Amino acid sequence: MTRSIAIVFPQWMQQHGSLGEEHAFTMFEHVVRAVTEVSPLVEVESVGTMLMAARGPSRYFGGEVAVAEHLHNVCAGAAPDAPFGVGIADSQFAAVVAAHLSQSRGTPCVIDQAITVQFLDAVPVRSLSRVGGITEETVDLLGRLGLPLCSAVRSIGESALIDRFGVEGKRVFALVSGHEVRHLVPGTPPSDFTRVMESESPLTGSLQVVASAHHTVQQLVHAISGYGQQCVRILITCETDHGEANSRIWGEPHGFGVAALSQRLMYQLDGWLTDITAIADAPTSGIVRIVFEPLECREVIATQPLLWGGHQENIERASRATAMAMAAGTGVQIFVPRWEGGRDVATVYARVPLALIDIANTRDGEQRVSVGAGVSRDWSGSLPRPSPAAIATTPATITVRDQQGNPVGVTSRHELNADPFVVEVQGHSYAVERVAGPWPVEERWWDTRRKRRHVRMQLLVRHARGGVGVFLVGLENHTWTLLARYD
Amino acid sequence: MPSMGQATIPTLTHRTLVGVETGADFAERHAQRVAGGLGPLEVTEVLQPLFAGRGFERGHVYGIAGEAPLSLLFALVARATMQGSWFALVDLERAGLLSAHEHGVALHRTVCVESGSLSAWPAVVGALVDGIDFVVVSSPVCSPSEARRIAARVKAQGSVLIILGKPGAFDIDATFSAHTRQWHFNTFASARTMDVVAHGRRVHGNRTCHVMLPSPTGAVCGVSS
Repeated sequence: MTRSIAIVFPQWMQQHGSLGEEHAFTMFEHVVRAVTEVSPLVEVESVGTMLMAARGPSRYFGGEVAVAEHLHNVCAGAAPDAPFGVGIADSQFAAVVAAHLSQSRGTPCVIDQAITVQFLDAVPVRSLSRVGGITEETVDLLGRLGLPLCSAVRSIGESALIDRFGVEGKRVFALVSGHEVRHLVPGTPPSDFTRVMESESPLTGSLQVVASAHHTVQQLVHAISGYGQQCVRILITCETDHGEANSRIWGEPHGFGVAALSQRLMYQLDGWLTDITAIADAPTSGIVRIVFEPLECREVIATQPLLWGGHQENIERASRATAMAMAAGTGVQIFVPRWEGGRDVATVYARVPLALIDIANTRDGEQRVSVGAGVSRDWSGSLPRPSPAAIATTPATITVRDQQGNPVGVTSRHELNADPFVVEVQGHSYAVERVAGPWPVEERWWDTRRKRRHVRMQLLVRHARGGVGVFLVGLENHTWTLLARYD
Repeated sequence: MPSMGQATIPTLTHRTLVGVETGADFAERHAQRVAGGLGPLEVTEVLQPLFAGRGFERGHVYGIAGEAPLSLLFALVARATMQGSWFALVDLERAGLLSAHEHGVALHRTVCVESGSLSAWPAVVGALVDGIDFVVVSSPVCSPSEARRIAARVKAQGSVLIILGKPGAFDIDATFSAHTRQWHFNTFASARTMDVVAHGRRVHGNRTCHVMLPSPTGAVCGVSS
């Protein structure tokens, strides 16, 4: 058994996730970097969860209680307003459960080797899905079978669990009996899949590095899948021209694909290259070498998400076609939409680089573009349906005049000071027939630097040649712009 | 029956005339294609009057001209993307994705491509038509030989190329154009009624429909004219 330390920030996603997962990861990276002062090899399984081996640090700091208290202070200093917990126990699962317990108690929680099994016996089965990575369906079934606690699950025996649940049953038994499902033993890579990306010239900027490493990542993933395996934990080490290095272990229970690996590399680099709060160990040169060292691979588990309503062939053709299109020229960029929300029609769907997304994963894709749950469209200043089909990428300046030829403006109460009569757009003149709005938008009024105040309105216009159209126009800083057309 | 003196003249049937296809032949060929998974890319019922089949014929190049090209595009491709077809917008940064979503386009099967330079454009579009069912480009600028090469790839792969605006060097099989009848504008712009017409060398007869594009929900819907 390997003693493990777990640090959890259960509410990290809620606190920092509002600006997207990347932002949450980048913010979490600051905490991870503080923890690497204690133990250099930290595994980040997801946002808000860190794992490391306990043996080295506890020897250095003189005991597990001492290292737990030290980590508690480090985390409190790195993220003062986020609730967190530090736990040490015999297995990673037990350590994470202990860390959750510690979060509610406010002090580190060290589970002694002698009582780890008793400790796990009292853990509810629900925790297996929340922190153990077991699927909801299995845990739900265990609950319905009348096994509310881990002790009950353990008592029915490993062979019965394997009979009923297969590979997952084996995992469940390992978790509840305090065995390690994975081993966190630094310095012993089990496979020879390691790949190195070396660059002649130092690369600055995380996107540039990710793009250069793309080929290496692809080779690595193909090499592993060639053995019928998939990588679930990997150590990524980045080195600069001046010999500075940054290592991180990343875990992905579903196995790393090219996109997932590129994404983790991006997070790691973002935290390191652009961290302005820790100038002390910020790199002084560009990246010249990246080492990808798979720490753990497993047999590819047959998953069949496409059994019903799948379009596997279309997805494969599309991903091949996009890869070929990317290779067709140097300036080619491919984006996929991701729901962001907000009032601005241009940014309600963000365009994310394809390299960071695994388009073969239909379920993730649907989640990515689905309109945020519970987000109503009826908040103040939002536009009515239907939405404009043609959005100006750089809105053109226009003039809006009343019948006397004076420019139309908006009063401090967001009312028009005159009725719009004519709109001029890039030399073309349109007669205004109907007006809807103005709809005021006040954004971040509490923030003096980022506050934004503007109004938008819809105009039904008729061109001199007779065509009818609807424009969405905006007024900001006394300037009218054509934001979109209902094309 | 040939008379006695003209016995050497063979009977002319459609089997002997090269390049002539009867309705029965067409129906047979069409059924074979559908059975082989290469059936038309279906469009929503209200727009089906624009097509001979139930949707876009694979391997053809279509054009969209006139008013409201983007709304018409979203309305035409929405059904097929929901059924698993992929959709690529090349150099169409202005396309409103929220509007596409309201029309029912499956955005998780949508990619937005920026070709970056004119020189890369033919290679990018050529690569995309190899694997993506709907590739949409806007007013293409390329040489006739490049246009022919891309059209040949579209035909070989069974995808559909849609050209918004001026067709340039491309040879268009069918063009759709819409004309606004009326905007419904009470407290805000809520709906628009339009006439949509299909014309071109592959379109026979009078193919028109009268639709609400967009309707108050954002999607296309039919109106009785």
